Amino acid sequence: MSVTSWFVLAPLATLFCLFLRLYFVLPPSRTRQARKRTEPCHTAVFLGSGGHTSEALMLMSALDFSRYSPRTYIISEGDSLSAQKAIDLENRKDLVRLSLTHRAPDKSYTILTIPRARRVHQSIITTPPTALWSLLACVYHVTIVPFLSRSSHGPIFADVLILNGPGTCFVLCLAVYLNKCFGLPSPKLIYVESFARVRSLSLSGKLLRPLVDRFVVQWPTILNDGGRGDYRGWLV
Amino acid sequence: MRVLVTVGSTDFDPLVLTVIWQPVLVNLIARGYDKVIIQCGNSAVDFGRPVESGLSFRKDGMDIEVWKFKPTLQEEYSRADLVISHAGSGTILDVLRLGKPLIVIPNPTLLDNHQEELANALSALGHLKASTILDLPETISDLHTSSLTPFPAPDESNFQALLDEEMGFM
Repeated sequence: MSVTSWFVLAPLATLFCLFLRLYFVLPPSRTRQARKRTEPCHTAVFLGSGGHTSEALMLMSALDFSRYSPRTYIISEGDSLSAQKAIDLENRKDLVRLSLTHRAPDKSYTILTIPRARRVHQSIITTPPTALWSLLACVYHVTIVPFLSRSSHGPIFADVLILNGPGTCFVLCLAVYLNKCFGLPSPKLIYVESFARVRSLSLSGKLLRPLVDRFVVQWPTILNDGGRGDYRGWLV
Repeated sequence: MRVLVTVGSTDFDPLVLTVIWQPVLVNLIARGYDKVIIQCGNSAVDFGRPVESGLSFRKDGMDIEVWKFKPTLQEEYSRADLVISHAGSGTILDVLRLGKPLIVIPNPTLLDNHQEELANALSALGHLKASTILDLPETISDLHTSSLTPFPAPDESNFQALLDEEMGFM
């Protein structure tokens, strides 16, 4: 074969392998029975500001924090309001814990800040570099830091990552897929569509539906299209 | 009895104008309401005076108070006997969880108008009344707050059960 045909074939073969790998790491259409867990579950949640943050924190407040521990709240740069709301939730949970068990607060949570993939009203032209910067930051936290560290939680970013939009949560999902492609430990992905979505999915919902391990909606009408998803009543 | 009107974090001029419209005020008075508090956000409604520091006036026999924002509306919701609001899901959840009668008016200018979907779905279940700018006087006179279906308290076990299943806590 000539040298030029190698130049064509090599990238094609690489792309083929990449797609093949991607196909194998995509979530199966039927849920597999999870392995029994006795250790606490390191839980990460993305707080996408405004209504997204409120709903995500309502989901978190439903959880038993001794089981879902430690927790990582991921916020977008400049979104101090979401950070404050996360701290408020942790303090509230601590008070309940204290009054029930008289145990000291555990404070086993961290707040992680990542750059936004796209700011509100940002022009289409300047979005790609901003999104790339955001992706690099996510890869740093989700892939590189856990790979290099030998922390007590094991070399994993989190056991589960809860997402409910908007844009930046797709970038987080891409970073998790990088781990999956390399066969590195990666968190399970749970997407919960907003209570506000009755008949149609949000853009992040549409993008993440085939990618996440659990896709949850809060109105059964959304599943009328025959696509994948779980409906368990209202979650907020 | 107090009515709280809220436009949320942006602006919704038509809603602010409608709630100080004579047919609305007359019907509110007929139903026994005597004070309307308006959180107008960034709406550009001309009250003849700057609204920055809040203002109050009387119109068509109704006491009206207007201000732009407060850090939290939770206290205002609990003091209100009726809430008239935009159809944002956050406001809807906050108000219904307090068990307050709620009329929502979806903002028709929003590009991706899923506010209307949510308003109509909850209205069909009887938890609130969905209305429009022009239908508001009629919605108020037809409102029977006791016939509204109470909104269920959050079932915290739902999400925990789903996550337990996924993560292997059995």
